[in-house]
Amino acid sequence: MPLFGDAGTIIITGGLVASACALLGVMLVLRGLSLVGDAVSHSILPGIIAVFLVAQTRAPVWVILGAAIFAVICVVGIESLSATGLVRSDAAIGLVFPALFALGVLGVHRFTADLHIDLDSTIYGEIAFIPFRVLEIAGVEVARGLVVAAAIALIDLAFVVLFWKELKITSFDPGFSRITGFSPRWVSRILLILVSITAVTAFESVGAILVIALLIVPAAAARLLTRRLALMLAIAFGIGWMTSVAGYVSAVAIDASIAGMMGVTALIAFAVAMAVAAGRRVLTHARGAPETAPRDPAR
Amino acid sequence: MSTLLDLIPLPGTTSIVVLGALALGITAGVVGSFAVLQSRSLVGDAMAHAALPGIAVAFIISGTRDPATLTVGAAVAAAIAAILILALERTPRLRSDAAIGVVLAGAFSTGIVLLTWITGSGRGDQGGLETYLFGQAAGIVQADVITAFVLMACGILTVVILHRVLRAVIFDRSFSAGAGLPARLVDGTSVLLLVLAVVIGLRMVGAILMVVMLIAPGVTARQFVRRLAPMLVLAGALGGAIAVSGALTSAALGLPTGPVIALIGTGTAVGAVLLAPGRGVVWNARSRMAARARLRDAEILIALDRDTQAGATTAASLADDVGRTRRWVDTGLRSLRRRGLVDPQLSLTDAGRRQATSARDAVLAWTAWLEHGWRLGLPDARDANPLDVAGSLGAEMAQQLTRMAREDEARAAVR
Repeated sequence: MPLFGDAGTIIITGGLVASACALLGVMLVLRGLSLVGDAVSHSILPGIIAVFLVAQTRAPVWVILGAAIFAVICVVGIESLSATGLVRSDAAIGLVFPALFALGVLGVHRFTADLHIDLDSTIYGEIAFIPFRVLEIAGVEVARGLVVAAAIALIDLAFVVLFWKELKITSFDPGFSRITGFSPRWVSRILLILVSITAVTAFESVGAILVIALLIVPAAAARLLTRRLALMLAIAFGIGWMTSVAGYVSAVAIDASIAGMMGVTALIAFAVAMAVAAGRRVLTHARGAPETAPRDPAR
Repeated sequence: MSTLLDLIPLPGTTSIVVLGALALGITAGVVGSFAVLQSRSLVGDAMAHAALPGIAVAFIISGTRDPATLTVGAAVAAAIAAILILALERTPRLRSDAAIGVVLAGAFSTGIVLLTWITGSGRGDQGGLETYLFGQAAGIVQADVITAFVLMACGILTVVILHRVLRAVIFDRSFSAGAGLPARLVDGTSVLLLVLAVVIGLRMVGAILMVVMLIAPGVTARQFVRRLAPMLVLAGALGGAIAVSGALTSAALGLPTGPVIALIGTGTAVGAVLLAPGRGVVWNARSRMAARARLRDAEILIALDRDTQAGATTAASLADDVGRTRRWVDTGLRSLRRRGLVDPQLSLTDAGRRQATSARDAVLAWTAWLEHGWRLGLPDARDANPLDVAGSLGAEMAQQLTRMAREDEARAAVR
């Protein structure tokens, strides 16, 4: 039995992954790149196959490394394609990730038909199994997934704190940041590479769909409720942790997939945020005072 | 249908796949163009993920894994996802990517919960239900191809009938609102057309690879044409060509159809972005380099003209004079010699002298514009082109500028 117990381990890991995702997801939503997580989840397939073929291993370290290489290829491809100014970022995402995924499918077909490679168990992890793989740190048993999630959350936190000012100006006013000599392109690149590494590492411990959902949904809900960056992050954190607790409890109650229920809980939180935002709009209009703040430049 | 199949000099199964791919490619190209133009390229991706809960519900209700039933489930779920995305997009502060992402993540999570619930409730094995999402071109039969062609005809007919309204709403939303056009209805139609394409594609290339089929033809066509109608025609043709060539290649090499089509699609689009004339990355880089070379040559010509009047000139003294590296000057001199403007002794030819004069005039005109442009009182929002002030402002304005500059010089001389 690891530290925090089974249920505690799953909930804390979920919360840590949610925190890491909230930190980066808020930036992605503000930049109109929220689907990058989904793109990364599909484009790592050829990396997994390549590692399997070259190194003949399914050891997590190697698989994560192979997957991370292709995740970075994916985000750099998306970034360069949209930097040409000829393709919008959504179309760039849609051109890059299916091509990489197609490579992976061809690889599966060509090389691994006779080998048994179960993708579900290699990279797309399952949060329910987190407590079964433990490490011993200073004599205390801690789940490996929890340690990994804590590490990524800390790295992402450090990135956001260190680059706070840069992230803020490049998210809200790329033109201004270019004039003041801070290349929005480089901030975007570092952000995207961090997203790909975070996503790949988290996929391995909690599964792809949960990561995709946690990158987008809490951040989008927070966006509905505030226009201040710090507050947005705080709300996204709150929704993320709540999702983890409520998702686990409800999944156990109805005996369904934990990751799936966490996703559904996040969706419910989003619906609530929408209702609150809509209610607030109705109230402001009823008082006869339309929103006086300048129009949101991100739209 | 069967006579048409006999006309194709290919084995029966291959020709069915090729015909299906043709219908899919044309539909996806035409319909996907609208999505590309409206920054909704990834709606197809969300629909693809939404198909999972649709399939799960269809399985729960019918209890069979009959492909037709599952397709209906997928189509209904895709349509619901599309409507939800449209509704979310209307929320202030949410951009279309966030709307698409929320629906995608929510739908897929729901799908997973439903699948685990099916297993748990002992309704039989759900295993393999999600493989339906990956598509299998080899599994399609003649009836599927006929359906695909009928759906394609419906799609194209709708686009042809609505094309003016669609154009107005896509390119000028506020105008079309003012003109009383039903923008919401148009949005709905264009997204439901996407559902149509996704449903055809699901069986052929699989849900995820379908995303490329929707985007690649539109992006490629956009690099070559500017107007909507030619873009749609070109995108349809390109979509058909991509899908058919993918189907033929995969048949020849014994590979799965979907991935090959997807790779050809992305390859075509990236190739167009790189190579499109007048717009592509390569063309842009070349025209930038040419412009830089023109400016360099003009700068050297002017300096050479000035320096040779003052006395002997070497490449080294020129480099000092213009404050550039020796290599920069040498490259420029080589190009000037090639153009016959400078002779090997570094003096200007007659043509070179004429060029130097006109280059100097151009610089003077630009300086005059920067200095006096505000006094011209231009009647419209014309802006001067640094390389061609007279051409961009009109001869009359350019003359006025020169006059102002001369007056200035005269005043300076008196002082």
